[in-house]
Amino acid sequence: MNDTKKQAIETLSERTRRGEISRRQFTQLAAFVLAGTPMLLRSTGAFAQAKELVLVNWGGDAITAYDAAYGQAFTKDTGITVKMDGSGPTEGAISAQFKSGAPTWDLVDVDPFSAITLGAQGALEPIDYKIVDKTKMRPGFGWEYAASTYFFSYVIAYDSEKYGKDAPTGMADFFDVKKFPGKRSLYKWGVSSWEAALLADGIAPASLYPLDLKRAHDKIAAFKENVVAYWGGGAESQSVLLNGEASMAIVWSTRASLIEQDSGGKIKFIWDQGLISPGALAVLKGNPGGKDAAMKFIASAQDPQKQLVMFDKLGQGPANPAADALIPADKKRINPVDPENMKKQIALDMDWYAKNYGAALDEYTKIISA
Amino acid sequence: MRGVLSDRMGAALLMAPLLLFLVLAYAWPFLGVVKWSFTLPTPGLGQYEALLTDDLVQSVFIRTLRIAAIVTVVSVAAAYAITVVWVRGSPAQRLIAEFCILVPFWISVLTRAFGWVALLSNRGLINTWLQSIGFISEPLALVRNEFGVIVGMTHFLIPFAVFPLASAMRSLDDRVLLAARGLGSSRMRTFWTVFVPMTRSGIIGSALIVFVFSLGFFVTPAILGGGRSVMIAELIYLRIFQSPDWGLGAAISVVLVLFVGALMALLFRYVRPRQLI
Repeated sequence: MNDTKKQAIETLSERTRRGEISRRQFTQLAAFVLAGTPMLLRSTGAFAQAKELVLVNWGGDAITAYDAAYGQAFTKDTGITVKMDGSGPTEGAISAQFKSGAPTWDLVDVDPFSAITLGAQGALEPIDYKIVDKTKMRPGFGWEYAASTYFFSYVIAYDSEKYGKDAPTGMADFFDVKKFPGKRSLYKWGVSSWEAALLADGIAPASLYPLDLKRAHDKIAAFKENVVAYWGGGAESQSVLLNGEASMAIVWSTRASLIEQDSGGKIKFIWDQGLISPGALAVLKGNPGGKDAAMKFIASAQDPQKQLVMFDKLGQGPANPAADALIPADKKRINPVDPENMKKQIALDMDWYAKNYGAALDEYTKIISA
Repeated sequence: MRGVLSDRMGAALLMAPLLLFLVLAYAWPFLGVVKWSFTLPTPGLGQYEALLTDDLVQSVFIRTLRIAAIVTVVSVAAAYAITVVWVRGSPAQRLIAEFCILVPFWISVLTRAFGWVALLSNRGLINTWLQSIGFISEPLALVRNEFGVIVGMTHFLIPFAVFPLASAMRSLDDRVLLAARGLGSSRMRTFWTVFVPMTRSGIIGSALIVFVFSLGFFVTPAILGGGRSVMIAELIYLRIFQSPDWGLGAAISVVLVLFVGALMALLFRYVRPRQLI
């Protein structure tokens, strides 16, 4: 659900290719069941030295961006190398690392709700708030097992040529195909679709959580014929809008600004009723590089200048409020946490997701694929 | 006698690393998966019970079987026609057939899936063309649904269907066909009553291979299905990485492997392995 996240296919193939030793059972399960693809067994982290940290993120541009913003500077300051691994730390993958007994990962770019669940299982180190500075995070976005380092949002992007001057103003318009005719696209993994359906159904943002799943699913089921595709990864969300398959879609804000650029302004997006979500770093329990080094890395990633690099490279909204002022005026418009944009949006409730995500996703999958 | 024995020993020695690799890389880890299916989240048969009652799992299983069956019929039929040309055509025809079989075979499944999206989407080649000649006014929904999945999978699997068929057709004794013709049977009749029945083992082998492959497809349905045609492999992915619910994911995997294993056993009853290549 992060920026470059949940690109199921990319992730899976990457994972299969890598096949780190500790995830062997995992990758082989996947490979065996899916295609019997032979893979190269490579034991990276098994021999990882203490002077090294492995940070796992969602791949693609994130690998170079994390390295440029955080990795190189950290190595310069501490002498500890930071290796970027883009294989996608889904909750299941982190769980596999932990259950292997000898994790090869140190830091993961994780969904806070997954961190809550994994923390309760004992798979993550508690964040050491003596090293990580809570004042460098927005209030409410530092958890026991994860510290927010950026923000992104699920926003409505739409075809401005098709709708002319009538821009949509919220989720009610997204679900209104009379006023805004045309096909839609929603997220395959559920997050944001439930909120969108409920907001469209008239529930006030303040009383959104706990989500009324029954009501959301009824709305989504009734809307199905208008949905041309449920996108599973960022690239897919971009293409459904760019090639005109969908006239309106709920996409990650980071991609929305790219789509706007790539379409020469034809596809636009709004922040109204956007669903804002933090991205966070967490540390695996018993990580090979050591807990303290990993905590120091998180602390170093709180630097506003470094977060600014991530904003420039990936469109990630800075987690440190001190970075807001550093963003040039002409770019404030695309910053998900800019105060002007922030006030139009609603934050995803991570505690609700930690408790309910699995079951909710099953029900959602059943409905969209029925 | 001694020669035969040492040949066998030699063969066994050569095979040993492969066998060891298969055991270490596939069989052993898979036992872990089997264990999960009985132990996660709580020990017992709960996950298998859930398989029988979970309507998401069941609907996905049925969809997977249905898609696999359609893909099998279409692929084998198409492959049969191609193989006839490949095996029995003129040298030029053979060359073209070979080209058509091998070139797609070498292109990655991912590339091909995206290729189909480009061809079949609303503003893809096919819809644009049909609209420009005035055949349709609104684009047809050719992709991001079950139709797209079937097209993509069939295209990927045709080469796999060709090889067993080619093997069966090559081992067919031409004199039988000549005899049929000599006894006054027409070309079509010879084809349907002599040629096709005599390549039956190839048809069965090819159908089983395509069917088994179809059951495990992940990338093609994920891309061309648009979230609407979730197949069993993607459901396992969802259970393991997204939900995550390893116990049920593992149980589905075990059932799938057993099912595929049974089909493979069936395959080898009908077809000798060497006929498959």
